[in-house]
Amino acid sequence: MGLINEIKNYSDKKNLSADKRSALDNFLENGFPTIKDEEWRYTSLKKTISGKYSINAVGRDVTKKEVEKHSLGLKHKIILVDGFLISKPEIKNISISAYSEFISNTNEALEKLNYSLAKNGYTISVHANTTIEEPIEILFFNTVENNFIQYRNIITVGDNSQVKFIEKIQNIDCDNVFVNSFTHINCESNSKLEFNKIQNNTPNSSLIDTVDVFQKKDSVSNINTLIFGGKFIRNNLNFEQNGTNAESNMNGISVLNKNQLADNHTFVDHKSPNCRSNEMYKGVYLEKSKGVFNGKIMVREDSQKIDAFQSNNTLLLSEDATINSKPQLEIYADDVKCSHGCTIGQLDKEALFYMRSRGIGKEEAQAILTYAFASEAINNITINKVAMLAKKLLINKLDVDLDHNI
Amino acid sequence: MSEKKQLSEDILLEEVTSAEYKYGFTTKIESDTIPKGLTEKVVRTISAKKNEPDWMLDYRLNAYNAWLKMDEPDWANVEYEKPNYQDVIYYSAPKQKPVLDSLDDLDPEMKKTFDKLGISIDEQNRLANVAVDIVMDSVSVATSFKKTLAEKGIIFCSISDAIKNHPKLVKKYLSSVVPVRDNFFSALNSAVFSDGSFCYIPKGVKCPMELSTYFRINEAGTGQFERTLLIADEGSQVSYLEGCTAPMRDENQLHAAVVELVALDNADIKYSTVQNWYPGDKNGKGGVFNFVTKRGICHKNAKISWTQVETGSAVTWKYPSCILKGDNSIGEFFSVAVTNNLQQADTGTKMIHLGKNTKSTIIAKGISAGKSNGNYRGLVSISKGATNSRNFSQCDSLLMGDKCGSHTFPYIEVRNKSSQVEHEATTSKVGEDQIFYCNQRGIGTEAAIALIVNGYCKDVLNQLPMEFAVEAQKLLEISLEGSVG
Amino acid sequence: MLKIKNLKAGVEENQILKGLNLTVKAGEIHAIMGPNGSGKSTLSAVIAGNENYEVEEGSIEFEDEDLLDLSPEERAHKGVFLSFQYPVEIPGISVSNFIKTSINERRKALGIEKLSTPDLLKLMREKMELLSIKKGYLSRNMNEGFSGGEKKRNEIFQMAMLSPKLSILDETDSGLDIDALRIVANGVNKLKSKDNATIIITHYQRLLDYITPDYVHVLYNGRIIKSGSKELAHELESKGYDWITKEADKEWA
Repeated sequence: MGLINEIKNYSDKKNLSADKRSALDNFLENGFPTIKDEEWRYTSLKKTISGKYSINAVGRDVTKKEVEKHSLGLKHKIILVDGFLISKPEIKNISISAYSEFISNTNEALEKLNYSLAKNGYTISVHANTTIEEPIEILFFNTVENNFIQYRNIITVGDNSQVKFIEKIQNIDCDNVFVNSFTHINCESNSKLEFNKIQNNTPNSSLIDTVDVFQKKDSVSNINTLIFGGKFIRNNLNFEQNGTNAESNMNGISVLNKNQLADNHTFVDHKSPNCRSNEMYKGVYLEKSKGVFNGKIMVREDSQKIDAFQSNNTLLLSEDATINSKPQLEIYADDVKCSHGCTIGQLDKEALFYMRSRGIGKEEAQAILTYAFASEAINNITINKVAMLAKKLLINKLDVDLDHNI
Repeated sequence: MSEKKQLSEDILLEEVTSAEYKYGFTTKIESDTIPKGLTEKVVRTISAKKNEPDWMLDYRLNAYNAWLKMDEPDWANVEYEKPNYQDVIYYSAPKQKPVLDSLDDLDPEMKKTFDKLGISIDEQNRLANVAVDIVMDSVSVATSFKKTLAEKGIIFCSISDAIKNHPKLVKKYLSSVVPVRDNFFSALNSAVFSDGSFCYIPKGVKCPMELSTYFRINEAGTGQFERTLLIADEGSQVSYLEGCTAPMRDENQLHAAVVELVALDNADIKYSTVQNWYPGDKNGKGGVFNFVTKRGICHKNAKISWTQVETGSAVTWKYPSCILKGDNSIGEFFSVAVTNNLQQADTGTKMIHLGKNTKSTIIAKGISAGKSNGNYRGLVSISKGATNSRNFSQCDSLLMGDKCGSHTFPYIEVRNKSSQVEHEATTSKVGEDQIFYCNQRGIGTEAAIALIVNGYCKDVLNQLPMEFAVEAQKLLEISLEGSVG
Repeated sequence: MLKIKNLKAGVEENQILKGLNLTVKAGEIHAIMGPNGSGKSTLSAVIAGNENYEVEEGSIEFEDEDLLDLSPEERAHKGVFLSFQYPVEIPGISVSNFIKTSINERRKALGIEKLSTPDLLKLMREKMELLSIKKGYLSRNMNEGFSGGEKKRNEIFQMAMLSPKLSILDETDSGLDIDALRIVANGVNKLKSKDNATIIITHYQRLLDYITPDYVHVLYNGRIIKSGSKELAHELESKGYDWITKEADKEWA
């Protein structure tokens, strides 16, 4: 296979440390996951990895204009080009630096690959007792066509601290880029994190994005994933609650068309009592697009008094679109309230008639209802600019005539 | 929670987890048993003992060869020591007169067995309108009401008899729903099945009574591999029940059945199971391994409804499924699965929507107590051509005590835009406020839990035919003894 | 304005309207009363064009044009407004956005320029005052979490914004307390003109204490069995429906 050989050639030339070498060997033993792997049964990497790639190649600089074009225009910006940190804001009580090596003890093949090949990414540490009011924008730019690149990032939110991020990956002058990103997040006691991922890259881009969140007591983490662009997207979002009264919230929107595929895998591991999790994922699938949802909630023995709620709602709007949904509950404690709901269907006929009786044409009514359906998951985004952007992207992709300002 | 209530719940749990299996006796009847192990020779022996035609022997050998190349599945969320398939006796038949003139000629010991089980096979004294076929170990020993059924053209007999007397039907439909190579256990069953029930309802006939098969494993170390084939011809209707028990034994016994249902155009099949194989003792010793493949196919406008109350077995691996091939066909699955002590169950259903306007409903209720683990695993697949199809699924789990587990693994695949799927799942325990409310109205905690559990299962129990609903309710009581009554 | 002739309609094979005739002229208020299940809501759904109902026979003309050939939105563009008995919730769409869309869709159909946002907001403020609606209401999602009274008020608010020619109020009074009823009725009265008409569908005559109808019709078993002045409503209130329905039953028997 194409990419596997490239990886072998690349690693043979590099002087990998013993740890990295062994991680890579571990990866190479089975290679990329296939649809025989339960966690990948609906998502085939075959096409993505059969292409020709360079590995961790570096291209050109990015101009100020280009940054402006793709930025939300927030005050604090962290800019990385082809993985390299090139610009960072100065913020009191927060240290931001380039990639630093760290180990994460997961058993995921792609994390092992990331660990062994990664050279780039960011390291952010928010000191204790710090509240950063202004959200921080993290912009990853890629400039090399046919590149397979690893980002490896780590964020620590100190005790009693609060911070918000927006992360976006953008290809410039290139399209076929395959990113394998891994982000490790530590939420210390009583900290609060909001992390927004805007996935709206170019039509031939591929992304595997893994975020592992480790939460201590009384911490709250909110992760929002907004998928609009890109050809192949696989998100692995994992939460581990290691302290009482922790809360994990996640919202997701996928609006896909053409041959897009988006696979959202989420996992909440309730390892401590008195914790909560809330999950709302909405999918709208047009044309030949394909959606996958796999949400797992695990409640460990002795993790009593857990409230876990999960919902996955899908609209299939084309004959050729498909959805595979697998919500899972694994419960080993009895005093818990866990539920998941999953619906797949079309727009509510009553609502359609209601709108038409108010003079709104059928197609427009359908588009508005679709917008309304998806935008519910936007309501939990607290950064106005992100919510507005999300609505705008939604309106554009659904081609509805709505004013998102009123 | 008050200390007193905590105490009463602890006592309750203790009672729940130490309830004894009431069907754990053995019957002293002489058996015709072949040596342990599975070889081609054993397959040939079974076929020979049953005086089978060549096509049946070929079918078995083909299955045996397929099985040799297959691996035992391990994707289910259950842990057990895989049986040594060479340590199982594949054929054991009670030694009795080969052909009975009437049920009065039944071995008195065997008759006693059925009396203990509460099954009356005396046609004159029957209170319910149920025709019974009884399979002990591997052989069908008695079928009642044959004449009444024959008048309507209904065939209800052991599958061995069907192979001899109705070879055309058997040839046409055997393995038409569950192919030999479908899975490890279906291949094994196809190679060695020794008996089971066969039923054919002719065109337009509404079966006048419930048909029932009662399965019992008796002989030590035997596996039970029964095969059920039920064909409802166009526009016919039938309700079929099966029940199962086994004696208490220290070692695990293997039960690997295959059930195939064929509902032709406009036919309606209701298939109910009360499964109460020996679950093992409270330390997890012994018990039946229940690895069953059940599947039905619906042609145009046909309907198959599965209802199951699963309380027994040490390990259960079972997914009664519907292939909704014909347009407007309907599949239903109603299930209560109770696990206690160290029992493990991985059960659910598959609804495969192929025809247009097909509908399916899944109601699965799990109750886990003791240190047991209950899993719901289900697939709803709506293919591209199954336009305007509907599925509704509801999977609820009730946990009793903090040592048990309950898990839900639904798979939902939709390939067209005019269909709708709704899936809901909840996990909870019996609410303290519910118990308090009952307490306040003078209902003791134990009775309150009984009430609540019963209410929780009601949607499913209501689906059972009257005669079985009572039995199922009793079984729930026994399985969660002390908490339900 | 509206001419319904021998209308037979129903759901699937179940015929609910069995030959209904009704004529409404501009400037008139008609009340249609009748016991439960008589076909009142079916009538409103058929006029508005709900596709769940099938018209088997008869005609509905609106300003001399066949209404049955038109889609629900086209009927709305012509000036037919239905106040729903159970207004639908549309989470994610604000009241203002919804109304803006429906006004502009109508304008588009009529070839009029879109209403600008400032003009729209001005108009909204005006009409809100008329119905004693509070400010924060515009940014709430359509009917989501609204009380019964708020939903009905929202319907009348939309009616005010869209200024239809023919308004059908389907059980608008059900679920309203006396204050809300007064506000809604007040709104309807103020919106009344010589150019528009209103059909009030109701089970009780309560709403008719506040809105005076020109005609009262009794709908029973899919037909109008009695028509009269507003006195008929009072008579129904005191005597119930039995006395007329029995007569009708006899006649049909």
